[in-house]
Amino acid sequence: MKSKIRIAVPNKGRLKQPTIDILRRSGVKILKRERVYDSETSSSRFRVSFMRAFDIPLYVQYGAADVGFTGHDIIVERDADVLELLDVGFGRCNLVVAVPKNSRIRTIEDITDVPRVATEYPNTSRKFFASKGKQVEILPVRGATELAPMLGLAEIIVDVSTTGETLAKNNLRQVAVVLESSCRFVCNKIAYRTFEREVRELIDRLKGGG
Amino acid sequence: MFKFQDFDGRMLALRPEMTTPVARMITTRMFSTPEPIRLFYVSNVFRYSRSYVERGREFWQAGVELIGCDSDRADGEVASLLASSLRELGLNEVRLDLGHAGLFKEVQKSARLNPEEKRIFRTLVGRRDRIELEKFMSRNEFPTDLKKLVLELCEIRKLTEAASALDRRSGSGKVKRFAKALSAVADALSDYHLEDEVYFDFSLIGRIEYYTGIVFEASVPGFGFSIGGGGRYDDLLRKLSEIQTPAVGFAIEMEKCLQALQSQGCELSTLPDDLVRVLVSSISNERAVETANLLRESGVVAIADVSVRTGKKLIEYGKLARMNYVVIVESDRRRPLVIYDVRSGLKKRLPIKSFLQEICRSRGR
Repeated sequence: MKSKIRIAVPNKGRLKQPTIDILRRSGVKILKRERVYDSETSSSRFRVSFMRAFDIPLYVQYGAADVGFTGHDIIVERDADVLELLDVGFGRCNLVVAVPKNSRIRTIEDITDVPRVATEYPNTSRKFFASKGKQVEILPVRGATELAPMLGLAEIIVDVSTTGETLAKNNLRQVAVVLESSCRFVCNKIAYRTFEREVRELIDRLKGGG
Repeated sequence: MFKFQDFDGRMLALRPEMTTPVARMITTRMFSTPEPIRLFYVSNVFRYSRSYVERGREFWQAGVELIGCDSDRADGEVASLLASSLRELGLNEVRLDLGHAGLFKEVQKSARLNPEEKRIFRTLVGRRDRIELEKFMSRNEFPTDLKKLVLELCEIRKLTEAASALDRRSGSGKVKRFAKALSAVADALSDYHLEDEVYFDFSLIGRIEYYTGIVFEASVPGFGFSIGGGGRYDDLLRKLSEIQTPAVGFAIEMEKCLQALQSQGCELSTLPDDLVRVLVSSISNERAVETANLLRESGVVAIADVSVRTGKKLIEYGKLARMNYVVIVESDRRRPLVIYDVRSGLKKRLPIKSFLQEICRSRGR
C-alpha cells in the first residue's frame, strides 16, 4: 500500500473555506469531525491536516505535509524552499505600506529619519525597505497591526489589504505595494518526485476550478 | 562556510564538505597511486544552516570518490553504490533522481544567456514553473526547437526517454551529443538492475560551477529532504593541480538518514545488541579489577565500580548505565560471585566460569 499524500489546509482565516471548497470540487471531500486537526478524505490517496496558514510553508518545506495551500505573502515571509506549483486564484491581496492619513509621508521617498514599522511580516518588510535604501526599525506584532499608529507604537505599518476598506476605517493611507499575493498550491520538493503523478492530477483538477 | 582569521592573519575555514579535501589529498599525496583510485570517508563537516529543524552546525557525511576514470561504468558504479548503501542501512523505497550538469550548461550556452539570465533560468526550471519558464524563453529568444526541447526535458522522468528526446533534436546542435551520454549512463545503471529506481530530472544540477557530468540525489517517500547525493566533477582537480583528472563521488548525509529511518518506523539503537555489559563491584578494589579484567578477556564489556556504592544504589546505577548484569565480588576468592540480572531482577550465586558460560549461551541465542 502506498502511503497517503498529506495536504495542509488553513485551519482558519480567509483561505480556509475557499480551500475546502476547491478541494471538494476537485474530488477531495474532507470527512471532517469538529475540532480535529487530521482528517480522512473521500479520496483514497489524500488525507488532510488543518494548521495555521502561516505554518504551512514550514510543514511543507520539511515534508511533514507533502502539499498545501497558503498565501504567496506567507511563503515569501517564511522564505520557504517549496515548489509553488499553482496560483489557485482566490485570496488575492496586496502587502502594502500604510501610514496615518495625516502623515507627511506620501511615498517611500519621503521617509527621512528611522521610523518604526509595525508588521506581521518582519522579514519581507526589512528586505523591502533595505531595497529602497531606507533605514527603519521593524516592530514585529501579531495581528491588529492597524492599531499601532493609532496608539503611537509605530509611524508606519506593513500589512495585507484586499479592498483598502480596513485601512480607511482606521484612518490609514496606502503609500506603496510591497508584494502582490494570492493563494498558492505548494509542494515539498521530494514529495513532488515521489508523488508526481498524483500531484499533477490534482493540479489539473484545481486548474479547472475544481 | 565558517571562516576565521589565524593569529598571523591567514584565513582559515572549517570544511563544508569532504570532496575538496579529498581532491587536495589526491593531488598532493597520491599522484603515484595507480588510477582509478577508490576512496571513502566518514567525517564531520561544518555548515551554517538557517533551518528551523537543524539547529546544529556540525554534520556527518559518509562518502566515496572514484578518481581517474571518466567512463559511464564509473558513473554507474558510484550511483548504484549510493542506492545500495542506503538500502543496506535499512531504508525502504530508495530512489535516485539524476540530471546532467553538462547538458544543462550546454542548453544555457545555446541560448546565449548572460550570468543573471542563467540564474533566473535555473530558478524557473528548479521551481517547475512552466508558465513563467515559457515566458522567459520567449523573452530571451530561445530558438523554437530548443524551447520545445527544454519543455519536453522538464516533463521526462526516464533516462532513456531523455536520451531519445535529445537524439530527435534536429540540426547539429551540441546539445544533441548528450543523448549518447545519457543512454550510456542508463545502460550502466541497468547492469545494476537500477533502471526502475533511477529517474531523470532535468532541473537537478547541484552546484553547477562544480559538477560537469551526471548529478544525482537520493530520497525516500515521506521524508522531505534528499538524504545523499553526488555527481561527476572533472574540473575540480585541475584547479588544484593543473592536471585534468576526472572524478565522480557521492556523500550520504548521516543525520538525515537517521531521521529518514525513524520516519520509516525503524527503531534506532545506540548499543549493539550482542554486547554484554557488566558492572563489577567489590569491597576489595583489587578483586573488582581482577574480575573485570577476566570478563574483558572473554569479550565482555566490564567496568569496575569506583564509587563504592552498595545495595539498591548500586543496582539503580547499573540500570541507568544500561548494564546487563551487576556483579558483586566477595573478598574471599573461594566464594562465588553474586550476580544480578538487571533486566529480570533475578539474583543468583555463580562461580565466574559458570557466569561466563551463561553469557556465551545467551549470546548464542
